[in-house]
Amino acid sequence: MHKSFKAGEMREHVLRGLDLRVERGEFLAVMGPSGCGKSTLLHLLGLMDKPDSGSIIIDGQDTTYMDEQTQAAIRRRKIGFVFQRFNLLNVLSGYDNIALSLKIRGLDTDGIDRLLASMGVAEVARKSPEKMSMGQQQRLTVARAIAHKPDILLADEPTGSLDSANTQTVLEMFKRANEQDGLTIVMITHSPTVASAASRVVYMKDGKIIDGNT
Amino acid sequence: MLPLPLANILHHRLRSLLSALGVAIAVCMLITLSGLARGTLEEIAKRWQGVNADIIVYPAHWSDNITTIGGGGVGRGDLKMLKSLKVGDKPVIDYLVPICILQGKVAKVNCNIVGIKPEDFHLLVEKPGKKLTGRIFDPHNKFAKWLEAKLTAPSEETLSISRAELARRGGLEMVIDTRLARSTGLKIGDKVYVAGHRFKIVGEIPAGVLARAFIPLATAQWLMDLSMGRYTLIFAKLHNPSVMGDVIRKINTTSRLKATSLGQYRNMLEARFGIMYLYIDTVNTITLIVAMLFVLVTLYTIVIQHRREIAILKSMGATRRFILREILAEAMILTGIGTIMGILLAPVAGATIEAFLPLLTVKISPRWVLISILAAAGGGVLAAVYPAWCAMRMNPAEILTLE
Repeated sequence: MHKSFKAGEMREHVLRGLDLRVERGEFLAVMGPSGCGKSTLLHLLGLMDKPDSGSIIIDGQDTTYMDEQTQAAIRRRKIGFVFQRFNLLNVLSGYDNIALSLKIRGLDTDGIDRLLASMGVAEVARKSPEKMSMGQQQRLTVARAIAHKPDILLADEPTGSLDSANTQTVLEMFKRANEQDGLTIVMITHSPTVASAASRVVYMKDGKIIDGNT
Repeated sequence: MLPLPLANILHHRLRSLLSALGVAIAVCMLITLSGLARGTLEEIAKRWQGVNADIIVYPAHWSDNITTIGGGGVGRGDLKMLKSLKVGDKPVIDYLVPICILQGKVAKVNCNIVGIKPEDFHLLVEKPGKKLTGRIFDPHNKFAKWLEAKLTAPSEETLSISRAELARRGGLEMVIDTRLARSTGLKIGDKVYVAGHRFKIVGEIPAGVLARAFIPLATAQWLMDLSMGRYTLIFAKLHNPSVMGDVIRKINTTSRLKATSLGQYRNMLEARFGIMYLYIDTVNTITLIVAMLFVLVTLYTIVIQHRREIAILKSMGATRRFILREILAEAMILTGIGTIMGILLAPVAGATIEAFLPLLTVKISPRWVLISILAAAGGGVLAAVYPAWCAMRMNPAEILTLE
């Protein structure tokens, strides 16, 4: 894959012929220095952006040049996002953030309380996210991302804003979802400790995978 | 689950209130300004229809395009002819009231001043709920009789009547309506200069009939330099209003006079305002555009602030229709609340205008209420759809990374 962005009058090449294969049920960590294209890769995998060239194949389907509505449908059914900055809707309670995600997907909201309890945020779920701690917000983000039982979880620095205790909690959630539910996880991280929770680690530099690829 | 549009509105209470208020002001402004313009003109026309008469008789040379009513085009002979009118050998006229109309300023307020006999004032102007406070001018017609005697007495000297004598004889007395009183602060017993003469306010009549100020007929004729037997027009009351059509037809066959029902005359008067209505509709259209822009700008800023929310919804796979529906719902709720507030505020604004400026009338028109609802809705939809559409086309990844 190739991907570039316009920066003023120049063109900045972020991904330069990146090749990556992720197996179903794999827990993959992507590491690399700042600006190497990790977040761009994640956005492309999540069909939130289009590559300049190359293709993104999910479950044997080439999604690269599908129209926006079809890509949105794939995001709805198969993909969950965990952002570093949480990106929760502060106008809704924690519970309603998850309920909205399920409503968009046409799913019922029966299992939300159980999910919240398993994430350890049941007691704060009726509050607005801005009234929660960072750890609680990130656990809520994870809960929202997996509530609809996606096939793929894309996590962009999910522990970047957390202390070690909360980091551990989030990683345990990832591992549990990966091992018990077969959830395929692609996680971006700077931290080798966090990356060690994954089953495979790849290293990026200058828009390419330089190590760990299969 | 609390719907997202409601959640946004409740979470940002102050912003939502200010947005709704912006819409309310636009709607209120549109309804009130359109009501003010038309209301004032219609009130003028309606006052003519409020008199105790059936027919108005005026000089045949008046056309429908004459905007100024005045002069002394009818006379005593016309009164005599009208009195003798019959339909099917039966006299039809109950009473006739001749009046003179002059344009003047009462305490710096331009208005029509009607000259009328004191006994005719009670017949034509007073009615249940609209009774005179104070007293009528020249109650025993002493001034009129004295002036007529003075004007008709043979004398070789040039006739000269001083202002002081006019006042002493009771000729400089005036009755005003309540709106003129409120507007100018005049009350019974006050003195006011009109047409170079110092009149005393002797009575006050509830507004809504014929004119704002009334003086003795003889005084009006004196000021207009008319002889005692000349009038501007004549009001006629019939024994039986069902013969009105026949009476009007008979009068219209004369070469000197024309007649019309009071309802018809009101329409003629309103038609005379034709160019004014064009001006009013132009001003109203501009107000409409300004109101829509106001709504648009108020809601546009809210929708722009939804970029991050739209990006989050897109990351969850929300369809364009879903996102647009949520944005539109919030805009429409705020527009709806603002529109209701504006419609409720409009009568309050109208009453406030009438209280501070009693000579103005605000008439809330259902047509303009509907137009303002449509304008607000149109502005709300435009305000929501366009920026939402632009935000949906943006790269969500970019927004979520940067914001």
